Amino acid sequence: MMQQAGAGRRRDFMQQPWALWRLQAKRLTQIELRRNLFSWRATWIYFLAFIPTLIIFIHILFNEHDASSFNDDTQVLAGIIQLYYIRLGVFFGCLGIFSRLIRGEMIERSLHFYLLSPVRREVLLLSKFAAGSAAAVLLFVTATIVDFALMYLPFGAAGRDYVFNGPGLGQLEAYVLIIVLACLGYGAVFLLLSMVFKNPTPGALLFLGWEAINPVLPSILQRLSVASYLRHLMPVDVGAKGFIALLTVETEPVSGLAATLGLLLLITAVLLYSCYRIRTLEIRYTTE
Amino acid sequence: MSIHKHDYRAYTGRVTPVWTRIFVLGRYSLAEAWSSKFTTVLFVVCLIPPIGALFTIYLANNPAARLLMGNVGPRVLAIDGAFFLNVLTIQSWLAMALASWIAPRLITLDLVDNALPILLSHPISRFGYVLGKCVALFATLSIVTWVPCLLLFAYQGYASPVPWAAANLRIAVGMFAGSLVWIGLISLLGLALSSWVKWRVVATGIIFAAILVPAGVGAIVSEVLRTKWGLLLNLPLVAFSLWQRLLGLHDHVDELKKLPVGAILAVLALACCLFVVMLNKRIRAREVVRG
Repeated sequence: MMQQAGAGRRRDFMQQPWALWRLQAKRLTQIELRRNLFSWRATWIYFLAFIPTLIIFIHILFNEHDASSFNDDTQVLAGIIQLYYIRLGVFFGCLGIFSRLIRGEMIERSLHFYLLSPVRREVLLLSKFAAGSAAAVLLFVTATIVDFALMYLPFGAAGRDYVFNGPGLGQLEAYVLIIVLACLGYGAVFLLLSMVFKNPTPGALLFLGWEAINPVLPSILQRLSVASYLRHLMPVDVGAKGFIALLTVETEPVSGLAATLGLLLLITAVLLYSCYRIRTLEIRYTTE
Repeated sequence: MSIHKHDYRAYTGRVTPVWTRIFVLGRYSLAEAWSSKFTTVLFVVCLIPPIGALFTIYLANNPAARLLMGNVGPRVLAIDGAFFLNVLTIQSWLAMALASWIAPRLITLDLVDNALPILLSHPISRFGYVLGKCVALFATLSIVTWVPCLLLFAYQGYASPVPWAAANLRIAVGMFAGSLVWIGLISLLGLALSSWVKWRVVATGIIFAAILVPAGVGAIVSEVLRTKWGLLLNLPLVAFSLWQRLLGLHDHVDELKKLPVGAILAVLALACCLFVVMLNKRIRAREVVRG
């Protein structure tokens, strides 16, 4: 009996119009991607992503690069990734990108065109998520790679040796993974917030506060945060300083794989709930 | 008599003074700001830290309570400039959260719904319009910044067993002046950014981003270029440095991060000028018609 039910479910699964959904998702993703990357409204995300690059470029032009500053620059780069990109750049970038996907369309009174078209709402939501993620990942990962290259380029042979024969390349891989996961994690959360709340910003700012105080919370609560998973993936430790260092709760070290899987699990859970929410989504433009 | 026989003529009755008209806008703006339940929730949250501070002052001045706490030393519960600086800092951050919620409510709808030409067709100037909105923000933000701070100061003066208030009057003046500077800055920032953003939903986030992102960029500039001048982009830190000086605590500042008063005042003035220019550009009696 159980086997029959299982086989039935598998048959139903295989009979779904996957090809059509893939085509619809592809088209929707292309539309959203164009809107997120090539509109004048997107310029501020470029600013968020590439302002550290500009500063590092000025550093190359005007500062001297001797061997003594090598470790300092490695620490500074880690600080830029952990404290600027994760806490501010990717956070506000994703807030802007992902809040616009659903709530922005509601405010512009254009979401009903999508909802009236013969597209499954889950396909619509996941396509929008994919487009937002692709835009955020493309910008922030490019910025991270350029930052990394510019940081070690002026050191010449020592820099090349550090990158290709030392831990440099591994660090770059870790930074890229961190930025990708941060974009996906924050994106999933903000997409959900933009569906649940009429104004997702207060919720997002509460989330920012939660992420900020997270290191001083008990380890069980630290698992409900995007930044806590990413902290475990950092190749260079940028410890808290001063008073915050006293309050920081040091959790057990988690392997990179476990942290990545933990965050992916969190993202999947949030997306599944978003898919559930969008099935019952109603638009009342008069109250927007 | 048919209507066309009437000649139109100027109103000759008593005219309200120009300065009172600003308060009409202020009154309506206050009503708009407080029409949301979330404003009330935020306001209540803003009053929690002063209650905690009040309790701390009570404990610090009550020997019996201190005895119950294991007779903690006077340094643990010291009520001095540093204590009031902490209260002012917390209240200022909360005031910023309140401003980022209220400011877009005051201005965005007027602009999006093309109501500004109608408002400015009344006998009120563009400056008066902005001032009216600022009055509403000033009134609301005052209740969470300098008012509780000065009430706490007064309570400490009353509860202290030794004459305290007169000797520490500088703290009160510093908190008042520091709060006014902060309220002015975040009011202008909130109104300026709200006037440039079409969606109220986005405006709240952008106000926060406009404070936090430059602070992060300033930190990068300081660390990468090995200079303290990047800290001037960090408006909360700049304001904090000013408060330290106003409260007479500038000796505690780390020499490497010590910003000159001239630079602090220049940055604050520059920021305010920028916000005024932004407002001047947007607050105009024009109607946007989209085809």
